[in-house]
Amino acid sequence: MRYIKMTTANTYKFLENLKDEATLYAPTKISEQFYDFTEIDDVDDVEFHYNRTIRPPRRFFYPEEETMFRFDTDKVELYENTPREGRFVIFGVHACDVVGLRILDAEFIDEQPDPYYKMRRDNGIIIGLSCLPDEYCFCNVRRTEFVDKGFDLFFHEVADGYLVRVGTVQGHKLLDPYPELVGEVTQEDIDYMEDFEEKRSSMYTLQGNWDSLRYFLEMRLDHPMYERESEKCLGCGNCTLTCPTCRCYDVKDVPSIDGKTGERIRFWDSCQFRSHGLVAGPHNFRPTKESRFKNRYQCKNAYCEEVTTAYCVGCGRCTYFCPAEINFKRNLMEIGGYQGVGD
Amino acid sequence: MTSEQENVYDTSKCRLLRTYDLSEVDKLFLFRFEDPEKAQNFRFKPGQFVEVSLLGLGEVPISICSSARRVGFFELCIRNAGRVTSAIHHLNPGTLVGIRGPYGNGFPMEKFHDRDLLLVAAGLGMAPLRSVFLYALDNRWLFGDITIINSAKYANGLLFQKELEAMKDIATAENISIVQTVTRDPDFDGLHGRVNTHFDKVNVDPENCTVAMCGPPPMYKGMFEECIERGYDPRYIFVTLERKMKCGVGKCGHCNVGTATSWKYICKDGPVFGYYDVLDIPGLI
Ligand SMILES: Cc1cc2nc3c(=O)[nH]c(=O)nc-3n(C[C@H](O)[C@H](O)[C@H](O)COP(=O)(O)OP(=O)(O)OC[C@H]3O[C@@H](n4cnc5c(N)ncnc54)[C@H](O)[C@@H]3O)c2cc1C
Ligand code: SF4
Ligand code: SF4
Ligand code: FES
Repeated sequence: MRYIKMTTANTYKFLENLKDEATLYAPTKISEQFYDFTEIDDVDDVEFHYNRTIRPPRRFFYPEEETMFRFDTDKVELYENTPREGRFVIFGVHACDVVGLRILDAEFIDEQPDPYYKMRRDNGIIIGLSCLPDEYCFCNVRRTEFVDKGFDLFFHEVADGYLVRVGTVQGHKLLDPYPELVGEVTQEDIDYMEDFEEKRSSMYTLQGNWDSLRYFLEMRLDHPMYERESEKCLGCGNCTLTCPTCRCYDVKDVPSIDGKTGERIRFWDSCQFRSHGLVAGPHNFRPTKESRFKNRYQCKNAYCEEVTTAYCVGCGRCTYFCPAEINFKRNLMEIGGYQGVGD
Repeated sequence: MTSEQENVYDTSKCRLLRTYDLSEVDKLFLFRFEDPEKAQNFRFKPGQFVEVSLLGLGEVPISICSSARRVGFFELCIRNAGRVTSAIHHLNPGTLVGIRGPYGNGFPMEKFHDRDLLLVAAGLGMAPLRSVFLYALDNRWLFGDITIINSAKYANGLLFQKELEAMKDIATAENISIVQTVTRDPDFDGLHGRVNTHFDKVNVDPENCTVAMCGPPPMYKGMFEECIERGYDPRYIFVTLERKMKCGVGKCGHCNVGTATSWKYICKDGPVFGYYDVLDIPGLI
């Protein structure tokens, strides 16, 4: 991998240049408490230090709602609505969210790729950014706190700028036009990065790894945690909508008023909604709140073979944004028997 | 379709050629792809399903119930169960619908060769199993004795009842027995009771027989026990399952089932599963 150095001043210049070439999205502060990826007009608005965005980056590739087809009902013809947007850059993606996108790749781009997702993914440039954890983060026990793949460039904070890892050919191409912005990595930068990583790992509230958690989840399917915690759940779906790796969707046809034409729309669904498993009859494959709750705990802790991590990347959003204050991390610790929780 | 890249969610035009009433709520539909090339090239395996679209109303997964060998057309047996299916029931011959697929794994028919065959259907179960049965008839020399247990709550819900009975009289039907039973219809002058109570009437060699079942999942547990007790080989016991489905190709997440270390999509890993899959994947049935 190629490593280069970019000073803080040059980083702003680089972002300015990127903005002229492609649509630039980056984390900004959207309220007292919250951050979100937004389109950048003024590069001074970019937040380099943020914990987590309210919405995960997946929506740039897989929007909350999209028209898949327009159709003619008489002719029974579908007119594809695959995205035509140009190139775009998402700057400032934390390691866990980069892994999140790779997990979605594994789901959407297989032998029968989802064309909507794939086309956007081909047009999207990912630039990572280093971060420090808060008490909600547990990416380290998920082994997603550092990434080797899934980004074009990755910016690591050093004393006077960034040590940048170049991840792809696309990443090289981004830097090629601006040799004046790129410097050599110094011994000082490497030492800084080492100190940063050490400080970072000491800040995580958990240590070790949770690789065996999925087996405990499976062996303890009747654990009392589920009943106790699902009682509190409001079934609002926030935990899944904010999750960087949740990807369930529902589909509906919306006909025009005369019924002659219409649109087939897909929109994010949540396994925490009662309707998720409801079929004709009416029969529900996950009829109780507890069964839906349990499903999320199993699904998020399943193993993604392509990325070799759990589907949950430990970003902490589902806990941070749960209105019922259900603590996913703590509940998992209880099932896994980690660090004394639940004993 | 405008783009060069194939869109997995794209659906092809199919014309409804005729319909046939099977029961008060079930109808048989005969379809043909409008594009002659597509009609000729469409192939499927018994147990696979298609997604049927009525544009403006939505899409539903439906098993193909005709013989995989008959090229150019296919049949679906559809129960009037809700929004889309009731609209399908009101279609007149000549109407166009959208079809995509076939999807799913289907029954591993090669594993069925040179063995006896037992088909157990309850309710709508005969729909996918009919294509298994027709496969066996089309390749009669590859199968030993065949028994079908077909059940329903009421006699008028016994799907393909007449067709199955008519089969008895054709040459290829030699060594085929058909057991039809009802659970809630005292007026029926045939067999009464659940499928497992009629295992004595089954004319197959359990050790060398493949069992394929389709019905409501609660039936499967009892059936598994019954089969194991009677010495059927668990490697040759198959069931087909249902879940809510939206995409049919493993993307929408609706049909996902299982736990953290063993989970499957019913749409692409199934809908056909074996006895040992069921042991491995909690919640499958
Ligand atoms: C693999 C498979 C094979 C099937 N084969 C047949 C068949 O051969 N004949 C037949 O009559 N029925 C079959 N079904 C069931 C059939 O798909 C449902 O009856 C149908 O989807 C009901 O849709 P609706 O719009 O009429 O009902 P609504 O209650 O209005 O359903 C709304 C939506 O929920 C979903 N849905 C509802 N019920 C089911 C269900 N049981 N399974 C999956 N999704 C559902 C569909 O997306 C549907 O559009 C099969 C289901 C599956 C999963
Ligand atoms: S965010 Fe909290 S309350 Fe809402 S569905 Fe998820 S666990 Fe339940
Ligand atoms: S399950 Fe929660 S902590 Fe894990 S990736 Fe999803 S939102 Fe983040
Ligand atoms: S139907 Fe969408 S994942 Fe199976």
